[in-house]
Amino acid sequence: MSVAELESREVMIEGAGAGLWSDALRRLRRNPGAIVGAVLVAIFVLVALAAPLLAPHDPRAQDLNLIIKGCCPGPSAHHLLGVDDLGRDELSRIIYGARLSLLIGIVSVSVGLSLGIVIGAISGFFGGWIDSLLMRLVDIMLAIPGFLMAIGIVALLGPGLFQVMIAIGIVNVPIFTRLLRGSVLAQRENDFVLAARAVGVRRRTILISHVLPNAISPVIVQGTLALATAIIDAAGLGFLGLGPQDPSTPEWGNMLTDTVRYLQTAPFLAIFPGVAIVLSVLGFNLIGDGLREALDPKLRGRA
Amino acid sequence: MRKLSRASIVLGLLALVVVAVAYGARSHKSASDTLVFGSSADPVALDGALISDGESGRVIIQIYEGLVALKPGTTNVVPSLATSWKASAGGKSWTFSLRKGVKFSDGTPFNASAVCANFNRWYNFTGSFQNPSATYYWQTVFGGFKTYDPKSGAPKGSLFKSCKVVNASTATINLTSASASFLGALSLPSFFMESPTAMAKYGANQGSVDADGVFHPTGTYATAHPTGTGPFMLQSWTRGDKLVLVRNPNYWGKPAHLSTLIFRPIADNAARLQALQNGEIQGYDLVEPQDISTIKSDGNLKLLSRPPFNVGIVGMNQSIAPMNNLKVRQAVAYGLDRQSVVNAFYGGRGVVAKEFQPPSLFGYAKNVKTYAYNPAKSRALLKAAGLKLPVKISFWYPTSVSRPYMPDPTKNFQAFSASLTKAGFKVVPHAAPWNPDYLGGVQDGKAQVYLYGWTGDFGDPDDFDGVFFRTPQNQWGFHNKAIFSILTKARDEPTLSKRIALYQQANRMLMDFLPGVPYVHTSPALAFTKNVTGYVPSPVDIQLFSSVSVG
Amino acid sequence: MLRFVVRRLLLLVPILLGLSILVFVWIRALPGSPAQALLGERATPQTIHQINHQYGLDKPIYVQYWRYLKETSQLKLGTSITTRQPVLTEIGQRFPATVELSIAAALFSILIGIPLGFFAAKRHRTVFDHVSLGISLFGISIPIFFLALILKYVFAVRLGWLPTVGQISVLINIPHPTNFYILDALLAGNMGALWDVVQHLILPAVALGSIPLAVITRITRAAVLDVQNEDYIRTARAKGLAPRIVDLRHVLRNALLPVSTIVGLQVGLLLSGAILTETVFAYPGIGSWLRQAISDRNYPVIQGGILFVAIIVVFVNLLVDISYGLINPRIRLGGK
Repeated sequence: MSVAELESREVMIEGAGAGLWSDALRRLRRNPGAIVGAVLVAIFVLVALAAPLLAPHDPRAQDLNLIIKGCCPGPSAHHLLGVDDLGRDELSRIIYGARLSLLIGIVSVSVGLSLGIVIGAISGFFGGWIDSLLMRLVDIMLAIPGFLMAIGIVALLGPGLFQVMIAIGIVNVPIFTRLLRGSVLAQRENDFVLAARAVGVRRRTILISHVLPNAISPVIVQGTLALATAIIDAAGLGFLGLGPQDPSTPEWGNMLTDTVRYLQTAPFLAIFPGVAIVLSVLGFNLIGDGLREALDPKLRGRA
Repeated sequence: MRKLSRASIVLGLLALVVVAVAYGARSHKSASDTLVFGSSADPVALDGALISDGESGRVIIQIYEGLVALKPGTTNVVPSLATSWKASAGGKSWTFSLRKGVKFSDGTPFNASAVCANFNRWYNFTGSFQNPSATYYWQTVFGGFKTYDPKSGAPKGSLFKSCKVVNASTATINLTSASASFLGALSLPSFFMESPTAMAKYGANQGSVDADGVFHPTGTYATAHPTGTGPFMLQSWTRGDKLVLVRNPNYWGKPAHLSTLIFRPIADNAARLQALQNGEIQGYDLVEPQDISTIKSDGNLKLLSRPPFNVGIVGMNQSIAPMNNLKVRQAVAYGLDRQSVVNAFYGGRGVVAKEFQPPSLFGYAKNVKTYAYNPAKSRALLKAAGLKLPVKISFWYPTSVSRPYMPDPTKNFQAFSASLTKAGFKVVPHAAPWNPDYLGGVQDGKAQVYLYGWTGDFGDPDDFDGVFFRTPQNQWGFHNKAIFSILTKARDEPTLSKRIALYQQANRMLMDFLPGVPYVHTSPALAFTKNVTGYVPSPVDIQLFSSVSVG
Repeated sequence: MLRFVVRRLLLLVPILLGLSILVFVWIRALPGSPAQALLGERATPQTIHQINHQYGLDKPIYVQYWRYLKETSQLKLGTSITTRQPVLTEIGQRFPATVELSIAAALFSILIGIPLGFFAAKRHRTVFDHVSLGISLFGISIPIFFLALILKYVFAVRLGWLPTVGQISVLINIPHPTNFYILDALLAGNMGALWDVVQHLILPAVALGSIPLAVITRITRAAVLDVQNEDYIRTARAKGLAPRIVDLRHVLRNALLPVSTIVGLQVGLLLSGAILTETVFAYPGIGSWLRQAISDRNYPVIQGGILFVAIIVVFVNLLVDISYGLINPRIRLGGK
């Protein structure tokens, strides 16, 4: 989350105009990194959606007889990636795991995004004491290292997948809030907003129909990057024993954590989910990077 | 490409530097009469009277000795600072003959007045010392203190009555009622003999409880100047880093082989194994099952086993319906595939438990009711109880904990959950970090079905059956007068043969009543480097290092 | 300038006050109590109740908060539940360890990240550029504990080149006047100890440095690309200065401006990463200490520790802002 925090400072984009999106898309297509990222994310989403069709076994079906001789038998014809410490098919768990990772990413970013948008927009548009109060709150949140705050929130709510999503979402709130506030501030003094105000359009209408849409593009970039960190942070929380309530849930972070203790005897058990996390996170980071470059007016025309 | 290669050279050089630095590093092997043992945490304090944690006990037993000790490798009580003892007045008066010529490491003599000074110190604790976090074992074994303080949480009235100096080498302990389990308890580090002179000099009785309810000794006795009669003495203690003991040159018995014994706290079990493989430590406790094959196949390492002295239990709370129904509890018992769990998760070091106490301890009964895995029978029992299948149960399991009887509770939970599902239950998982969330919830009676267990402190069945079932407890949620009274009677009975019969009867009653399902006894493993010899694993977690040598 | 600093310092007061309320309320909302944590398996409802009552944990929360505020303002941070040591003493032992680790990680990421980013920009859109971008993307895409575990497994367990855990070997005895072990070793004049401490730092520093490495590489690259197109660089080139001198004196120096602020902003990031890194390497720093305290419900440590960490984060951010103003006079401080 702190990476996102930092990068929020980089993605400030001044102004937005017509044709921005088509222009961006055109440049995105010329960026090999973004294409690789898109492919990785596409595979990730596809696997997540089609998990029941792709998985050769039930991801929760145990076979303790497979592991009586010790953990854990490696890849075989019947279990392409081997079985885990409860005799479950590793491949099927990786495939189903994509679903949960995607879900964690989307839900937690949505939580952070929606709260951040509301607070940031209010703060930036109204200014004054509302702004000061909200910004002090954000300062307080930013003074606690993000991951520490996530641990604290999960400790409060108890372990569980949903709680993890909320925690990561809340940690993202100050980042989105600042980002949006910055954009709105920049937009507020724009000619078209001043013009709208001059003709007597209501403040709320100006905010919703003029300011927000134009302030949103850095948020989209940030959102993509936050998806990546959300997946990593969920895995980190899982590593500290703060993962899903039901431990048979095939979640990558959880799978990695459970099998770290077999690093010496069955390293593949930790390596497969680890690689799955890295690839999906890499995908989102590549797309986020590509978007940033595509939407950055300073870089426009340089390509 | 020429430019590219120049940049790569810079990077390559950097990488080389890193590797070269790394390669210059070689692990430090220790001197041959020094042993570094990987503990899981720092001790709390080095004053036995004020601790209840295993890591403190592990160090304290090297520095101090009790009147009695446990014979190495067993839970049998043998002489230590007392050479013999006899009970009179029907078990209410115990006279100890003391070993002569023994001195504390500060040079002061160990004698009957030292014994009474120690007992009187414990009995006269007031204020914050009566806090259960300070004097847990005194309160468990002896009950209350001389002055009753309703604020402290300590019970009223004490088993201890007085200590009398008969002559320099004879002391008599008088009790307020007959007790049989008292002698075994004297082998606990909490009842070891400490130098009265050193305690006075370094403020052993100074301590306070701060705003957050934490008791902490304020004198330097328990952190810098612990003084006992044992084979080792404290040299230095840097918290979080290491605790260094050195040989006591004036020890009355066989002197320790090691000149230096270092305890190094490493919280993570996998990290302990890696430190062992890397030569940074020479031994550690509580080897996890998945590491056993790694250690066995490593030519430099060896594995030692403790005799099983623990029990893993699936607890059931009868105050939460339908657990109050015996048929439902039986259905749970038949629905737990205990054999598969024990086979799969304990690295060949576990046996399926049939009772709540380990088989090696007296009082274990031969013919108790057993419950082999039979999901069909479970479903039939649930139907007979008039319930609609599947029966929903909330099953609690702890995270962030590893105990010998549940090295990885999440695995036990998952396997049990799967087998209970086949047996007609619908399992709702509830996870919580071990302490305080999980233990708090379980002990408050909030958990319906839960993973639990116990490792014995000393060789008495009261330390198993009695701890769980002698009194009504929220975590089990039942009031069974017959069970409470037989366990109380068994605890107080002075004649061993009668005690055995009473505990056997109690164990049969318990397995019929089924307050929980015991599922495993394990024999915990320790790992050492090959050159460490002379360590005799004890059933309880703490033991002496004086017979250990390296090289 | 002075007004700006004073205003920022005054702003600290409401932030810290708000934070202390937040942490205080949050701790008391956690399930389980310190009494329960203290007694563990051996707790009974009676003893828990008694402990809570005896020490005022059942008083109204504002009463407890007021007492806490009074004690904290006198720097009385209480005693750790698990070790029975003063919290302030533990901070004094733990914080230097984390600072040492963070500095090592920062050095690692700067020494590799800046050249990597610089050369990537100089060779914009070459294989080198793509590879270095790839490395940096990989750095932020790999979970830090996964990287730490792999490093530990390969370099410590399999190859045995480096120690697996801790801050210094057990058999080395040096006094610790500062608790910065490198400094302590130097003060003791013990080169063996110094070497040993450095060895213990390498793997955790590389793991912890992986994320800042990625960020620094990318920012350096972007900044160099920006600066290269500035008029004064073109002028310098046109003047006929040697390319190497232009690169070093002008491009790199100007590009380092944004980089330096980013390096400063890594504090929160490093502390987040330190929690996981210190856990994997059993490194006795402040991150693993706080995480353990939260799971132990070690109230005094959580309260004192989080407040301390927050003060550090806020102060470093302030320093970054001030130094940014000093380096770059174009930024007018205090304005909107």
